[in-house]
Amino acid sequence: MITLPKSTTEADVLTHLSADKTALEIKNLNLYYGDKQALFDISMKIPKGKVTAFIGPSGCGKSTLLRCINRMNDLVDICRVDGTIELQGTNIYEKSVDVASLRRRVGMVFQRPNPFPKSIYENVVYGLRLQGIKDRRVLDEAAETSLRSAALWNEVKDRLHDNAFGLSGGQQQRLVIARAVAIGPEVLLLDEPTSALDPISTLTIEELITELKEKFTVVIVTHNMQQAARVSDQTAFMYMGKLIEYTDTNTLFTAPKEKQTEDYITGRYG
Amino acid sequence: MEALNLNRHISGQFNNELESVRNQVMQMGGLIEQQLSDVLVAMADNNVELARQVIIRDKEVNQFESNVDQECSRIIAKRQPAASDLRLILTIMKSITELERIGDGVAGIASMVIENHGKEVPSLIGLENMGQIVLKMLHNALDAFTRLDLKAAIAIHNEDKKVNRQYESILRELMTFMMEDPRSIPFVLKVLASAHSIERIGDRCQNLCEQIVYLVKGVDVRHATEEEINSLLVD
Repeated sequence: MITLPKSTTEADVLTHLSADKTALEIKNLNLYYGDKQALFDISMKIPKGKVTAFIGPSGCGKSTLLRCINRMNDLVDICRVDGTIELQGTNIYEKSVDVASLRRRVGMVFQRPNPFPKSIYENVVYGLRLQGIKDRRVLDEAAETSLRSAALWNEVKDRLHDNAFGLSGGQQQRLVIARAVAIGPEVLLLDEPTSALDPISTLTIEELITELKEKFTVVIVTHNMQQAARVSDQTAFMYMGKLIEYTDTNTLFTAPKEKQTEDYITGRYG
Repeated sequence: MEALNLNRHISGQFNNELESVRNQVMQMGGLIEQQLSDVLVAMADNNVELARQVIIRDKEVNQFESNVDQECSRIIAKRQPAASDLRLILTIMKSITELERIGDGVAGIASMVIENHGKEVPSLIGLENMGQIVLKMLHNALDAFTRLDLKAAIAIHNEDKKVNRQYESILRELMTFMMEDPRSIPFVLKVLASAHSIERIGDRCQNLCEQIVYLVKGVDVRHATEEEINSLLVD
């Protein structure tokens, strides 16, 4: 159970997060697809070294918000963003920001595993090769470290040069995580990373997420509320493009403040 | 409280399960209330037969506890309740333990009535009064649970002071009896045990009210001061 209301709540902690503990700060973010507004005045601080989950019904804007964090929405012609997202104090929507280097700092993993049609090894070191690294020893070491961080090393160490498509769905997803981790990002964005996986692979990935947060800030979008409850430290509930409630996961799942949050997580009609 | 409308889940089956377990708690509460009322009558009238029935019916109370507990475990396993649903299940699981123990206390008093039958036992008016206060507390607490009534729950929580005062005065009265006539000590001790059981029922009603506060407000007031609890009514 939780403490009396007078004590400082976790929600306050999130609002007053100091700069050195903040990985990302989103300020008054609005996003439009053509005339249609998809995100409304979102402001939140995402703490460093923690797992933050975005939950909400389909179309609520959670994936859109996630994609704003590494400017994936730039790829959509009709998309327009105003407001700021600060990564370690720098606004990523600043004109001077190089999107490719931003995406090195903010890695992303999608719903369906998307390995390249290459060997397991080549998949992991792909980003490093793009950066011009050729030294075999550096690449070997990066491949091993990344595959270990993604909890895949033991399963693939004897077949690093086999085609990545020979792996199971869960393994492919961990391979993709290893690929994202290899270039040493600060933030890792996971967009429904387990929705195409079986329950056991899902648990492996969830276990992995808990380990990843020691090195990275993780932001995850999930349809599975139990998953958000299991893996995240704080959860944001979004509805119709608005951030309804953002607080620590324990509070959100036991005693949410907003009625819309309550209705959604208990599975009631909205 | 509109935030706790149980019957609006997308899953109708889940609605039914929560509704069913909640109904069982109310039935169990009703049974305990009847038991407490009967034992107070048995004590006042020295009615051994009624006291025996109370002891027999305690088995039904125990059965209720097991059934509701099982049902709650099933709901947790199958539905992974969250927020108010989770609080409802937790509240129910804790409340039925309190109710079952109230039942045990009542059965203990019934045994005292049987054992002290025909013996010269000091007058029990104070005990009866205290019993009536506690019976009312229990009735109102169950009512507050049904209606999810925070205000009532806090009011009942504050009532326990009366019971404690009454208990202290009974204690003094019984000590006087023992000093006046040491031969009465064995019976008086049994009466004392009953007085203690009734006082404990008051405490358990308080616990029930704390659970209702948790259910409605989502805050744990088990170790809070009276002022802190009353302040919940303000915000």
